[in-house]
Amino acid sequence: MGLRDLALIVLFAAIIAALGWVPKVDLPFAAGVPITAQSMGVTLAGVMLGARRGALAAALFVLLLLFGAPLLAGGRGGLEVFAGPTAGFILGFIPAAFVSGYLFDRWSLRLGMFGAAFLASVVGGYVLLNLIGIPVLMAVNGTGLDEAAVTALSLLPGGLLKALATGVVSYVTRPDKVAGTEAGV
Amino acid sequence: MISNYLGRETWLHRMPAGAKLAALAILSVVILPVDDWRALVAALAGVVLLYASLGKEAFKRLAMIRSFAVLLAIIAALHLLAGTWQEAVAAVARLVMMILLADLVSMTTTMQAMMAALTPVLTLLRPFGLNPRKLSLAVSLAIRFIPVLSANWEARSEAWRARTGRRPSFRLLGPFIADTFRIADHVAEALDARGVARSRRGGREWG
Amino acid sequence: MPDTVSPYLRFDNVSLGRGARTVFDGFSASLGERRVGLIGNNGSGKSTLLRLAAGLLLPDAGEVFVEGLETKTHRGELPGNVGFLFQNPDHQILFPTVGEEIAFGLTEKGMTDAEANAAARELLAANGCEGWEKRAVHELSEGQRQLVCLLSVIAPEPSVLLLDEPFSSLDLPTRLDLSDRLRALPQAVVMASHDFEFLSAFDRLLWLDDGRVREDGRPATVIAAYEASIRGLKTARRA
Repeated sequence: MGLRDLALIVLFAAIIAALGWVPKVDLPFAAGVPITAQSMGVTLAGVMLGARRGALAAALFVLLLLFGAPLLAGGRGGLEVFAGPTAGFILGFIPAAFVSGYLFDRWSLRLGMFGAAFLASVVGGYVLLNLIGIPVLMAVNGTGLDEAAVTALSLLPGGLLKALATGVVSYVTRPDKVAGTEAGV
Repeated sequence: MISNYLGRETWLHRMPAGAKLAALAILSVVILPVDDWRALVAALAGVVLLYASLGKEAFKRLAMIRSFAVLLAIIAALHLLAGTWQEAVAAVARLVMMILLADLVSMTTTMQAMMAALTPVLTLLRPFGLNPRKLSLAVSLAIRFIPVLSANWEARSEAWRARTGRRPSFRLLGPFIADTFRIADHVAEALDARGVARSRRGGREWG
Repeated sequence: MPDTVSPYLRFDNVSLGRGARTVFDGFSASLGERRVGLIGNNGSGKSTLLRLAAGLLLPDAGEVFVEGLETKTHRGELPGNVGFLFQNPDHQILFPTVGEEIAFGLTEKGMTDAEANAAARELLAANGCEGWEKRAVHELSEGQRQLVCLLSVIAPEPSVLLLDEPFSSLDLPTRLDLSDRLRALPQAVVMASHDFEFLSAFDRLLWLDDGRVREDGRPATVIAAYEASIRGLKTARRA
């Protein structure tokens, strides 16, 4: 892994953290799962840096939380995050970044920057993240399937909006040009 | 700026980070299977006393549980609908206790101590290509650049407001990300100039 | 131009392209004076020259020697001998606190963490920054950050300092303060700058133009030639 890869991983972890300053939205039906810009930072890292470096950026962010940095939207952080019901969403950041990056790289030639980034973000940042986050939420809260469905549905508009934004940003910045390849990472 | 750390030193600060993490792990394993609401409430009272033993500042930190209020209310409601009030009390008490115990460790352990305690665990990942020294460098770099990127974003939003009179839009994200790539080039160069990852005798191992 | 007895920096027929552009094509120069300045328009090759000297860039053809070390084969040893001060402190400070930033180069040189922290404390105290080691870098002013950069670069005691327009974003008082500190340094200094007042006390100036040395010698002569050429250009354009 080169120094530029290291720098990019660090800076995208910092971007995910900095997006925590964007105010979070708490929805009444989302079982306490807030809508934050941070999950967008996660898919953005995957799309911009590729699967491996993107996942490492997300992992670095999670590690910072573990070490006690209060970087989550609303100023939370530390071990208590991993003891709480949204732990699955936080840990899910890592595979979400990986999958978004992987799918973007596979689709970008056929679908173009915008389409590939949008769809990759929907799959990685919405579908996969909820597939990991909601079961953990259910297990901790002891809730049933219909509650899970309501949570997933209430998070859908935010998820689509964030995927849209990721698509536009990719269209503007052209990750295929600026990020370099992942070869030898 | 970025730490949950409680400034004033208490007896819990002086305990080694590794011991605190081990205690937290053991307590989690013990608490999770308990179903008796009386036992859980008693244990929760014990945790609250622990906060009190750390002084007024720490005790005030109990208020942070409020950020979980919506969630706790939903859990309580669901358990009340599906089961008994005893189950609701037990579920809420268990969760609150886990969160408070974890926060207790976070607020009395510096990031450096936490890193030092967790590094041996992370070293186990070495066969998978993880270099502990590179990792600690990455953590420091991230903490260093979070305020830099925030300031960069702020400056951009300000320029946007000055020229349009409107609220910053997500259209600023594009140039912001592009700028981040430029900063990455500078950071990589600065790391190189300081000798990181250049092969050299007598220097630290970067692998 | 003054004779150089033992040059610490030598460029031997160096060629380098960056992207599609050729920056240097058979460039040769030898620097041995304690204070050498590089002037010239943006894009003339000043920054690239400094980066070649630090081993940040390696020549496509030809050789660069720093203290007798060829940069391609001795890249790993260069950071101990050469300190590099970049234009923007925000992009080169790597650590969240002042102490860590300064100690880093020392641990890289082989000191233990405790030794490095003690040395950093001493260096800060000796430079009028007592007790700064715990301070967060992002809470310092721009000038203070550039000072931290300078101290972290000189902490491992390199013999040559390369400075790439270090004053460009500083206000006047900080610029003067930093100038005084630079003047007092024992190291050899090669500095790219547009600050002719500061450069006028240097031993030698090189005026770079499109990857070549256009003028080389005492500051007064070189600066006068550079300024005359720019004025001449302007008059020619107006005519």
